[in-house]
Amino acid sequence: MESQVFLNKVYAPSGDVVAREVAGEFIIVPIASGVGDMEDEIFSLNETGKSIWDKLSPAKSLKDVARELSVEFEGPLAKIEKDCVGLVQELLKRKIVIEKGKK
Amino acid sequence: MADFVNSKQLPDFRLWKKMRKGRQLVSFNLEVTARCNNNCRHCYIHLPAKGGLVKKKELTLPEIEGIVRQAADLGALWCLITGGEPLVRKDFSEIYLCLKRKGLLVSVFTNATLIRQPHIDLFKKYPPRDIEVTVYGVTEKTYEAVSRVKGSFRAFMRGLDLLLKNRIRVRFKTMALRTNLRELPQISEFCRQRTKDYFRFDPFLHLRFDGDPVRNREIRSERLSPGEVVAVERADEERFGALEKNCDKLIFSEGAQKSCDHLFHCGAGNGSFSVSYDGSFRLCASLWHPDCLYDLRKGTLKEAWEKFVPAVRDMRSRNKTFLTKCRVCPIINLCLWCPAHAHLESGKMDRPVEFFCDVAYARREALLGNNGKK
Repeated sequence: MESQVFLNKVYAPSGDVVAREVAGEFIIVPIASGVGDMEDEIFSLNETGKSIWDKLSPAKSLKDVARELSVEFEGPLAKIEKDCVGLVQELLKRKIVIEKGKK
Repeated sequence: MADFVNSKQLPDFRLWKKMRKGRQLVSFNLEVTARCNNNCRHCYIHLPAKGGLVKKKELTLPEIEGIVRQAADLGALWCLITGGEPLVRKDFSEIYLCLKRKGLLVSVFTNATLIRQPHIDLFKKYPPRDIEVTVYGVTEKTYEAVSRVKGSFRAFMRGLDLLLKNRIRVRFKTMALRTNLRELPQISEFCRQRTKDYFRFDPFLHLRFDGDPVRNREIRSERLSPGEVVAVERADEERFGALEKNCDKLIFSEGAQKSCDHLFHCGAGNGSFSVSYDGSFRLCASLWHPDCLYDLRKGTLKEAWEKFVPAVRDMRSRNKTFLTKCRVCPIINLCLWCPAHAHLESGKMDRPVEFFCDVAYARREALLGNNGKK
């Protein structure tokens, strides 16, 4: 089932993962149980995903993130919002990001 | 929708291919102590578990944190916590967590005798890549004849049961030595029944890193003869099958090996390194020659990795016997010889070692005999 993601909510990297750059590759390493589906799983993001990831913060809603990216990359806001929701949906499903304020 | 997230299991991750292309730090061994609560007959590193002086020389938690931070900055992805017995350190959990929190995949080598519920809780919440448990015997008599500590077999079984009942990923290994030789088939069966992962055995007993002559005599007396090494390898179908399969790559024809005076032809220091309990950086776990040690308490990991390693790898030999014998030997790939092992055996990194020659020739005979090429 797809996780519900809303632009007015705040999503941030989970404390159960560590994001690192290794040999020029951006990777996300789960450090606690329950992240991802398989044993021995590590994740990488494509360029769009990495740009969105870098902006995710407990202080910003997803809409703020999309707005910042839209200014930075001079791209259409609607398309960027759609990408942000798509990425966060995938990350939320794997518990790589968490929705802030949600218990 | 765009595929934002690429998820792979470790062995399939494309990063490995990328990392193999050049000299890139991938992993390191962190020997957090040389102390151990067992006192195994064959151990190359053991110092007493309560040794106060040794304890004082051990890297402190902040020192370990510093090394781990530097290793992560250099791109390391994998760390093996080893010893001695790592769990004799009261701050084991902190060391483990410090590695995890840097985004490293962590393996642990242990004898399992000190595993308690808090370790299980830690491993369940923050899973290791694997825990490798060494099995010295599957009966009290054999296990304790090796470990020389009364009650250690029961402690081992209790610790192992705790790990397995809690579904912690366990792998097994054993050392093949004279004292447990008769029990090897049972050890193998015991291990294979308890893991879906691999079981491996090592018939080569390293001599002491500190050169202790009394303990070295003991280790030599525990070594299997070349014929016995080959016999236990043959008994393991998987292992011997792999040797047979790669026979053509492992054995060169006479004269095919070019002479070269570089000492290091192995991969030591290309993608990994080892740190001893007192902060000595080495290119591999066995390399203890004084000219190949870099004190991380006096320098940085970056300097060790970027300047010291290439300098060591550029070391050369002028020993004619070595250059005309080992360096051009067509069965060097079947041999236990390497500069590190040669140093432990003879005090020199470029000296042939008779025992290694004997094992290599016994292996060749077993392989060629099987292929009908002899």
